[in-house]
Amino acid sequence: MTDDVMIDLQQVSKIYRGQRVPAVENVSMTIRRGEIVVLVGPSGCGKTTTMKMINRLIEPSSGRILLDGSDVATLDANALRRRIGYVIQQVGLFPHMTVATNVGLVPKMLGWDRRRIDERVDELLHLVGLDPGQFRNRLPRQLSGGQQQRVGVARALAADPPVMLMDEPFGATDPLTRDRLQNEFLRLQEKLRKTIVFVTHDFDEAIKMGTRIAVLGERSRIRQFDTPERLLANPADSTVARFIGAGASLKQLNLRRVAAIDWTEVPLVRVDESPTQVLRRLDEAKQSAVLTVDGEGRPLRWVTARALEPSQVTLDGVGDPVTVVDPQATLRDALDAMLAASSGSAVVVDDRGRYRGVLTIDDLMRAIHEMRTSQRESDRPVAEATHQRSAASNGAVVSDGRGRR
Amino acid sequence: MSATTAPAPEQTAVLPPTRWRRLRRHLAMPVVLTAVLLATYLWVGTRDLDDIERRSLNADYLLRVTKQHLTLTAVTTVLVVVIAIGGGILLTRPALRWITPIATALANVGQATPAIGLLVLLSIWLGIGFSTALIGLVAYGVLPVLRNTIVGIDQVDRHLIEAGRGIGMSPLAVLVRIELPLAVPVILAGVRTALVLAVGVATLATFINAGGLGGLIVTGIKLQRETVLVVGAVLTAVLALALDWLGGVISDLLRPRGLD
Repeated sequence: MTDDVMIDLQQVSKIYRGQRVPAVENVSMTIRRGEIVVLVGPSGCGKTTTMKMINRLIEPSSGRILLDGSDVATLDANALRRRIGYVIQQVGLFPHMTVATNVGLVPKMLGWDRRRIDERVDELLHLVGLDPGQFRNRLPRQLSGGQQQRVGVARALAADPPVMLMDEPFGATDPLTRDRLQNEFLRLQEKLRKTIVFVTHDFDEAIKMGTRIAVLGERSRIRQFDTPERLLANPADSTVARFIGAGASLKQLNLRRVAAIDWTEVPLVRVDESPTQVLRRLDEAKQSAVLTVDGEGRPLRWVTARALEPSQVTLDGVGDPVTVVDPQATLRDALDAMLAASSGSAVVVDDRGRYRGVLTIDDLMRAIHEMRTSQRESDRPVAEATHQRSAASNGAVVSDGRGRR
Repeated sequence: MSATTAPAPEQTAVLPPTRWRRLRRHLAMPVVLTAVLLATYLWVGTRDLDDIERRSLNADYLLRVTKQHLTLTAVTTVLVVVIAIGGGILLTRPALRWITPIATALANVGQATPAIGLLVLLSIWLGIGFSTALIGLVAYGVLPVLRNTIVGIDQVDRHLIEAGRGIGMSPLAVLVRIELPLAVPVILAGVRTALVLAVGVATLATFINAGGLGGLIVTGIKLQRETVLVVGAVLTAVLALALDWLGGVISDLLRPRGLD
């Protein structure tokens, strides 16, 4: 065993009393420091049981679990759990305690003094994107579902545990909120580098979140344990393939980033230029629309010849709103954004919101086509995909142009 | 969050009513009870009282039996709370789960036996007096509190308990910081029921010479003195309502924030 290993499951089994069939049978798995390992499988396959044996909410019937080299069975269970962040789907915030009390529970049990706890709570709320001044003294029921889960994550991070267990943490939120929480969490993880065991039944979520994915079958037996790229390219058997579902190549939309494919250039017109400039630029470029940008180069609106009327003197407020995407967004995010805005294109902007190019639906189609062709050819995409993966956890961010002005 | 994230379209609930606003609805009851007592006093004043009536309807005697009644009720309530809440907590621990049906059945027997029968049987066994009455009243009052304690703790969301254990709280910490505070409203509802029951049943204590307001009622019936009977009945009713009111106030004060 190397120093690289954070969690080591050695032939772990769990047989519940009064049952003959084990819930978990002979699972061995090593989880490396700083990676997100996703346990994915159909409901009732024992993935949650497997996870809960790590923090001893469930005691294994046989086998050993090593955490950072020491057998968890030899440690005090309560002390062990205070060193392992724990996030569940139902969030489990205590309704009669304020956000600050909830977040500060573990530090308090660890005997931190009040000042240090208060500072830590504020720091954590900042980290998960909640303004401490506004949220510290709220009660859980005064928060939306997404805000509650952010507080749940903050509570799990409170004592800076090296390991986190997350049981379908974003499963109870609506798709939009879930996407945002996933992206935020990946960005957080980029900084925090925790070792995370993440349970889900949603394969798309597994692809998006996992450094490695363990596809579990009945009794939590590992059918395949590999990176998302290799899993998609080479499912180990027909069960895994069926679980991945139809269109494995389309699922690669969750892996590829906007930055990794070719974009289109469009003519730009500064918003303080005259409408006649627009017509000239359209004519030169032989395109149907130009993009107006502000003085900083940030995209404002799409302007077509039809949108211009002779009476107009300036371009301010003329045209249709734009959809923007971050280069780090996945192709899936970009497609979703386009569909949501019923728009055939999205403007790619840098981290300061400045124009970098335009991603059209045709660019996307071309990328999808390439992925499907290359998958049919061989296992070749692995190396390339792994490379993209390093940029992947940067967090994909999509928003529409209206929110930006 | 990063500058490129769209503003969260998330809404938050309105602020909860303050504790004092919750207490406002308790203001009427004391006024009504005072009015009833005053009316009874004035009504008694208009009646010509004979010797027998005067022996019952004087301040000394009334205060004494009211005090006896209150003492009996108070001690009963304290014992019931200790026994039933303690028992309820024990019976909801996983290790003792299997006893729960037996204990509830036993408490049901205590409740189902007619109180007067229970008191008389006990007095044959233990002799008459205060402590016998007390045992009877406690046996009678345990069930609602025990049942509500069990229900109150059971209705706490399992996920909260799991979350508490998951972040490293000990079983005791989970009980004290999560289960009990969240069960308080249900437990106190049981205590209120037991309290009111105790006031009513304590009127029977007079049959085994344990005093209380029951004495007035029995005198009124036996000697056909309507005034005495009415005063006894009114005082008992007012006492029961006053204690129920007090229970309501207390349970609103103790109700944890974030639940209503």
